[in-house]
Amino acid sequence: MSRMLKLAAAASVVTLLPVTFSVAAAENLKVVASFSIIADFAKNVGGDRVDIATLVGPNGDAHVYEPKPADAAEVGSADVVLVNGLQFEGFLQRLVEASATKAPVVELTKGGEVLRNTEEEDHHEDKAAAGKEGHAGEADEGHEEGHHHHGESDPHAWQSVHNAEVYVKNIADAFCAADKAGCDTYRLNAESYGEQLEALEEEIKATIAEVPEDKRMIITSHDAFGYFEHEYGIKFLAPEGVSTESEASAADVAALIKQIRQDKASAIFVENVTNPRLIEQIASETGLKVGGELYSDALSDENGPAATYIEMMRHNITVIKGAIVGS
Amino acid sequence: MRTNWASATAIALLLCLSSAAHAEEVTAWRLFISDHAEPKVTVIDAVDGGKLDTFRIKGPASLHRSESGRTVFAVQGAAGVVTGIASGISFEDHGEHGDIDVEAPKLAGVEIAGGKPSHFVEHNGDFAAFFDGEGAARIISEKAVLEGKSDFREMKTDAPQHGVAVAYGSYVLLSEPNREKPDELPVGIRVADEAGAQVGGFHACPDLHGEASSGNVLAFACATGLLVVTHGDGTPAIRHLPYPHSLPHGKTTTLTGGRGLQYFLGNFGADKVVLIDPTVESDAFRLISLPTRRVHFAVDPVRAKFAYVFTEDGQLHQLDVVKGEIANSLKLTDPYSMDGHWSDPRPRVAVAGDRIVVTDPLRGVLHLVDATSFEKTGDIAVEGKPFNIVSVGGSGQTHEGE
Repeated sequence: MSRMLKLAAAASVVTLLPVTFSVAAAENLKVVASFSIIADFAKNVGGDRVDIATLVGPNGDAHVYEPKPADAAEVGSADVVLVNGLQFEGFLQRLVEASATKAPVVELTKGGEVLRNTEEEDHHEDKAAAGKEGHAGEADEGHEEGHHHHGESDPHAWQSVHNAEVYVKNIADAFCAADKAGCDTYRLNAESYGEQLEALEEEIKATIAEVPEDKRMIITSHDAFGYFEHEYGIKFLAPEGVSTESEASAADVAALIKQIRQDKASAIFVENVTNPRLIEQIASETGLKVGGELYSDALSDENGPAATYIEMMRHNITVIKGAIVGS
Repeated sequence: MRTNWASATAIALLLCLSSAAHAEEVTAWRLFISDHAEPKVTVIDAVDGGKLDTFRIKGPASLHRSESGRTVFAVQGAAGVVTGIASGISFEDHGEHGDIDVEAPKLAGVEIAGGKPSHFVEHNGDFAAFFDGEGAARIISEKAVLEGKSDFREMKTDAPQHGVAVAYGSYVLLSEPNREKPDELPVGIRVADEAGAQVGGFHACPDLHGEASSGNVLAFACATGLLVVTHGDGTPAIRHLPYPHSLPHGKTTTLTGGRGLQYFLGNFGADKVVLIDPTVESDAFRLISLPTRRVHFAVDPVRAKFAYVFTEDGQLHQLDVVKGEIANSLKLTDPYSMDGHWSDPRPRVAVAGDRIVVTDPLRGVLHLVDATSFEKTGDIAVEGKPFNIVSVGGSGQTHEGE
């Protein structure tokens, strides 16, 4: 079974308040971005014509974010709300309801290539094996019909640069719908930024090519790099699933340590959005040296090494290659 | 799964036929009400208004419900005991849906005795009852309560006090008594490990009274501001969030935590409440004036945008926590003056799904308000003086044949 889905059909969750309208050209678009990576995309597309508020800022973990009344006020007064979708922002529905916003809530993964959450498939298979009420058949069919429940898809789609280009296109479309006068600018900005993304993708592939194929298994904190693995051929293992909300069980950690020893993982990394202690413990037990910090679900602050999406991807691949083959 | 229908609980919306099991969507809400004078807890089916049961206890009680809704506790200060009640409603999360299990409510068979139980706090399924007369906390898990086991552990402070304890993972947060003036409120918080040894320093919180959780943040109210507790790197991280100079003289002594949105709602003086964002350093406090003195307040766990404040003129106010203003007001009862003793019988507020329920102890009724339209929809008569109230319930699926 292919792990790839076209999201266009599957993305049924955030069709919240699909009201679009144009704002007066003299005013900047008020844009709310759910987390820092989307905010960076929006900045590149919107330029000086948009004012961007970011809900989950640099180094923040959107999986466990608790929205504040001030966030609801921000969303309530926005012209456009940009979100990842795929249930990455678990807080989204209650926040949108509390905000009573009339702005379109735009799911940027729409139209991208989406990976299944293999953890969720395991969940279904476990249930089917146990003979309990379950939906194991749905793993093979039916999702394209719009049935979409918690954890069905891996939300970290931005870890594929190809998908990042889809995010950018969707942002340009959303800005054009809300501000027709600025549409040409948004399209030009998106095109220009898209060229930078294409160059970035080539850079990543060239760097990976320098890593021996038998050294391409590494460890991180949570399953945030499934798209990177799929696109670029580095195998990632992690003690935590696609969400940081649930802590890894002792059995999960033990199984991972066994697999690391058996399959000879090359390197282990902490992530900027998770507590490093579990990774440090695994490193200690397996003899792997922590190879550095990867930026998974959030950018760094402006003084850090991953203040933009392009810097983040460059930083990650540089750190990965450096830990495996030396810089 | 057992589905013993103890009452005419509403059954609605036949849904899933996707698998072998036949799934029904079931909604069940229960109200647990203590009496101001009598030692009893009355259980009302909030869907049809019928009485499910009355539990005799040992003294008038304040009530607390667990986060899961599976247990309700009657804290009987004068009688010196905390009684556990199994609500009879439980949920099991299956990711794409949740199952509900509805049974008869019953006394759990767990009583924790001690001198003057007062503050009762849950954190992640562990309950800490503080016994003022002993200056000690007794901590028990929800699992033990539901199994009918009184397996509690005890943490002692230096002296009797009107204190509080929170079981915080591997640690316990304990109030520190005022040694110079033992009759006055605690002066701060200390963190102890499981063996009782102090971890870290002392966290000053003069006149500590009132605590609440909202999401992953815990807060204590002090005369000087809030102590805000978050998960630190291994041990609890505690910081002081001071009241800004822009606030008038006053302090918060009662806190409740937002659900769905992360904030705290506290009293601030007799006729004001304050909305608090615990995650920021500036503009953390928003003061809201009430038309008259506050009697009680509660947050809406379903409609995150709203909280409710009852005032002594008999009005229930719908507070928009996003805008920081009263959105609607509704006259429900005769006036309940805040003059007199603090524990005189006065209304209390709870939210049960789409209904706001307000006790009216002097008339012996519960007033029902539709949470969407904010209009009164009915009354439920309750014998005696219905006073403290908590609700448990929700919707879920049941599967035939399980």
